[in-house]
Amino acid sequence: MKLFTRYNRILIIISLFGLLLIGFLFFRMLVYYLNQQIDHDLVEEVMEVKEYSAEGNFYQPHEFEDLVVQYKKIEKANPSSSYGDTLFFNPLKHRKETARYLRTELELIGQPYRVVVIASKFERQEQIRNICLIILIPVMLLFALVLLVNRILLKKIWTPFEQLLKNITAFNINHERPYEPVEMPVAEFRQLNKVLVELSGKVKSDYNEIKLFTENASHEMMTPLAVINSKLDNMLQSNVLGKEDGETLVELYKATSRLTKLNQSLLLLVKIDNNLLQDEEKINLKSLIEEKQVYFQELISERNIAVESTLADVSISASRSLLEILINNLFSNVIRHNYDGGKIEISLKTDKIVFANTGHNKVLDPEKIFDRFYKDNASEGTGLGLAILKQICNRQHYQLNYSYYQDLHTFTITFSHQ
Amino acid sequence: MKILIIEDELGLQRSISQYFTCEGNLCSMASSYAEALDRLNSYDYDCILLDLTLPDGEGLQLLNYLKRMNRSEGVIIISARNALDQKIEGLSLGADDYLIKPFHLSELNARILAVVRRKSANGERHIEFNEIRIDLDAKEVLVSAKQVYMTKKEFDLLLYFVANKGKVISKSAAVEHIWGDDADMADSFDFIYTHIKNIRKKLTDAGSRDYFQSVYGVGYKFTGV
Repeated sequence: MKLFTRYNRILIIISLFGLLLIGFLFFRMLVYYLNQQIDHDLVEEVMEVKEYSAEGNFYQPHEFEDLVVQYKKIEKANPSSSYGDTLFFNPLKHRKETARYLRTELELIGQPYRVVVIASKFERQEQIRNICLIILIPVMLLFALVLLVNRILLKKIWTPFEQLLKNITAFNINHERPYEPVEMPVAEFRQLNKVLVELSGKVKSDYNEIKLFTENASHEMMTPLAVINSKLDNMLQSNVLGKEDGETLVELYKATSRLTKLNQSLLLLVKIDNNLLQDEEKINLKSLIEEKQVYFQELISERNIAVESTLADVSISASRSLLEILINNLFSNVIRHNYDGGKIEISLKTDKIVFANTGHNKVLDPEKIFDRFYKDNASEGTGLGLAILKQICNRQHYQLNYSYYQDLHTFTITFSHQ
Repeated sequence: MKILIIEDELGLQRSISQYFTCEGNLCSMASSYAEALDRLNSYDYDCILLDLTLPDGEGLQLLNYLKRMNRSEGVIIISARNALDQKIEGLSLGADDYLIKPFHLSELNARILAVVRRKSANGERHIEFNEIRIDLDAKEVLVSAKQVYMTKKEFDLLLYFVANKGKVISKSAAVEHIWGDDADMADSFDFIYTHIKNIRKKLTDAGSRDYFQSVYGVGYKFTGV
């Protein structure tokens, strides 16, 4: 639930309950006050009855008074009186109306009587209704106005915040564009904004530092590697090496080569990250894949791997070096992790490339395979091939998916736009 | 052939000179910008190997100097940086080739020969080795004037071996020469064997002698002796 909705909901519920409660209390107060007044009138009527009786008359109210006085002879007058609500037939208006009564017992002209004075509440009730309406309608209007203003104001106040949210979402550590600050009239938001600007700057500079460190470390390692490599090359020219020395040299060459590849892959990752490969052009994917297939042909036929390819004539515009690395990595991946006599399926459609291969492994963890240095122990690769693949796809805004279906490890690259 | 090695890493400097000196070449060495300038002022060379990061100056400035002085030496940049910009800048300043560290000495040798061949005014566009003749323009191999058909990789590999004749080339170096460094194929060393076997067969079928020698299982040597 949005903050805005939640706030409004609570506000409306509380206000409605409050309004109902206050309205109810107000109404009860008015009714109580009215009854008091009527009761007071009733007492006055009884006084009048007494005065009339002193002159030897029975008091009868005027016709316009909405008042009835009933007399009833009783055995003995008990000097007490009681008030209450009742219904009575208004002879004047010929209808039943709610009323207040005062019942008392009096000695009138020497005789004990029960006197009941009944007064209509009708007009007073009208009054209450009018008072209530006069007060309630403006209150309701005010309430509606407050809600409306609240709504508009909140929207206005929160707009920069929403922009801020949008900017945070759009912030990408890999992009050149820095985090964009928003103009904030509210102090708290302004502070949040400031903190975010600082934080994003810090994150970016830390990230750049790591990248720079990786780059420098990899570069620094290249010179010692060059020394090792050249020493090995010279050692190889010696005429006094035995078979065992030969084996040692093979291992040394392999290890050096792996270390070099590892360094190159790390540098390549940084390079892709820094967006240094921007040789964008129109590339015919079909011919690129065919070219690479020829390039890898010996490796494929050496291991008796069958290749099934269905390639549509697709051209996309992208960085040539990135796409070449992409296709290279896809090929070396499906060859490396295959078994002798296995199968490779390549398909190129207008919106995607699919590389599938048989392999020793069962299904791999799709969450992890694109992580750096994720590899099975048997693999002699750097563990960076798929990470580079992922990085290139990120950079080019392609979608990269792995699935395992019918014994085939399948890598699908979908072009989001073209 | 006279080669000037401008490289501040002494280990690498010594290796390079050791590899090349025995070929009847003359290697001079410089480990700083000042030293390099001094040598260049005194002597002419056929080829200069230039490291870009020197302790007392940028290697690129030396390129500028050579250009200003209208020197005709072939220059090969050897650098740990493979930044594209630097490569382009180096080549536009008159460097003839750019080799990224680490490299194999056999690769460096092949590059030097190619540069020197390009530089020499009446550059031969073919290489001969006994009965084998390699035409660099047509990319053809002839054995006793009879054409031998080879794939592009086989041609490159043969050329590589002929350029490094008499030297042992490790499988590692051979793989890197044909696959470049973008193919992540470190575990495919043994596969070079198939290529060599094919080249050998094609050459001997055409009547050539077999000049390839397998060495300790590490690599091969192309030699007439």
